[in-house]
Amino acid sequence: MSIERRLIAREIRLLLSRPGDVVKPMWFLMLVISMVPMALAPDSDLLSEIGSAMIWVATLLALLLNTDHLFRDDFNDGVLEQWLFFDRPLAWLVALKLVTHWLFYVVPLILITPVAGLMLSITGNVLGALLVTLMVATPALTCFTALGAALTLGSSRSGMLGVLVMMPLFVPVVILAAGVLIRATDGSEVLPLLALLGAFSVASACLVPLAVAAALRLNIGGSS
Amino acid sequence: MSWRWFHQWGSPRWFYERAGRWQWVSGWIALILLVVGTLWGLGFAPVDYQQGHSYRIIYLHVPVAFLAQAMYAAMAVCAVVLFVWKMKLADVGIQALAVVGLAFTVLSLVSGAIWGKPTWGTYWVWDARLTSMLILAFLYMGIIGLRAAIADPDQAGKACAILVLVGVVNLPIIKYSVEWWNTLHQPASLKLTEKPAMPASMWVPLLVNIVGYYAAAFYLVFASMRALVLERERRASWVKEVVGRA
Repeated sequence: MSIERRLIAREIRLLLSRPGDVVKPMWFLMLVISMVPMALAPDSDLLSEIGSAMIWVATLLALLLNTDHLFRDDFNDGVLEQWLFFDRPLAWLVALKLVTHWLFYVVPLILITPVAGLMLSITGNVLGALLVTLMVATPALTCFTALGAALTLGSSRSGMLGVLVMMPLFVPVVILAAGVLIRATDGSEVLPLLALLGAFSVASACLVPLAVAAALRLNIGGSS
Repeated sequence: MSWRWFHQWGSPRWFYERAGRWQWVSGWIALILLVVGTLWGLGFAPVDYQQGHSYRIIYLHVPVAFLAQAMYAAMAVCAVVLFVWKMKLADVGIQALAVVGLAFTVLSLVSGAIWGKPTWGTYWVWDARLTSMLILAFLYMGIIGLRAAIADPDQAGKACAILVLVGVVNLPIIKYSVEWWNTLHQPASLKLTEKPAMPASMWVPLLVNIVGYYAAAFYLVFASMRALVLERERRASWVKEVVGRA
C-alpha cells in the first residue's frame, strides 16, 4: 500500500475508535442554535433574519473547538516524527491529513446545518446558500485552524490560543460568505461572490499546508 | 562588494552600542518635532469650517494610524530576514515591533473613537478602516500571545515569524474585503500621490508630526530592542561589562 493510502486508512481507524469526536461539534452547534431563540425571542421573522449569520458563527466556533487535537495526539505519540522519514514532502502529508479531517469531521457538521436552519425558520434559497457557502469556505477555514493548532503545538496549554491567533484571518471568508447569503436573500446573482470565496479556499488549500509544515517542523526539531 | 555592513548586524554587542546612539538621536528629533508640530497644530493651525476644533485630533490620529500599519510591514521584513539569514536580531525586532505596533494601533483606535463622538455622534461605527484597524490589533495580540505561550525562545521566535508572514499575505485581502463590505469613512486625509485637500497651514504641522511620530517609533523600538538584547545575552561577558560600567 502506498503511504497515502496507509495514512488515510489510519485516519479512518482512529475516527472509528473515537466516534465522539465527530458528534461533539454537531452537538455543540445544535446547543448554540437552541440558545439563540432563548436569548433573543421566539419570533420567527426575527430569527430568519439573523439565523444564517448565527449558524455561520456557530459553525465557525464548532470547527475551532475541534482542531486542538488535530496534531496533538500524533505529536505526543511520535507519529509526526515518523512523517519526516517518509519520502514525501511534509506539506503533502499535511495536506492529506487536512483533506481527511475535512471529509470526516467538517462535512458531517455541515450536513446537519440545514436542521439548525429549519429551527431558525430559514428556508428555500437561503438554506441552500448556507449549505453551499459552508462547503466552499470550510477548506480555507480548516487550513487556518490547522495552522493555529500547529503553531501552538509547542505550548502545553494551547487550546484557546490557536483560536485567538487564527480568528482574525477568517475575516475575508466570513465577509464573502455573508455577501452570498445577503444576495441569496434578495434573490440577486450569487455566483461572482461564490467564485471569489472558492478562489480564496483553493489558494489557502495550496499555500497554507506549506506554512503548517514549517510550523510542525519547528516543533519536531525543537524537541530533539 | 563588502558584506561587513551586513554581517555586523549579527553581533549583539555591535548593535547594542550602535543602537544606543541611534536611539539618542531619534529621541531628540522626536521631541523637537513633536513639540513644534503639536503646538503648531493645536494652537496655530486654522479652525476647520465643518468640524470646528475637533479636527485637531488628526495631529495625533493620522501619524499613529500610519505607524500602526508601518510597524506590521517592518515586522514582515524582520520575519523574512529571520528565515533567510537566520539572524537573531530580526527576532528581537519582531518582538519589539509587535508591542510598539499594538500600542500605536490601540492609540489610533482610541483617538479615532474620541474624534468620532463629536463628528459622527458615536464612538464606534462598523466602518471599513475602523474594522481593519481592529483586526490589525487582534493580529498584533496574536503574535504577542503566541510568543508568550511557547517556552523555548528560539521556537517561539520562528513560530511568530510564520504567523507574521501569513498575516502579511492576508492583510491586503482583509483590508479589501472589509472595504468592500462597508464604507462610510471620509476619504483618506493625506495621500502621498495627490495634493492634499487641506490648506498648507493645516497639513504642514501634520507632516511635522508624522515625521516626529516616526522618530518616536524608532526611539521606542530601539530602546526595547536594546533591553531585549541585554536580556537575551545576559550570560555573555560583554553584557556584564556594559552593565557594570553603567
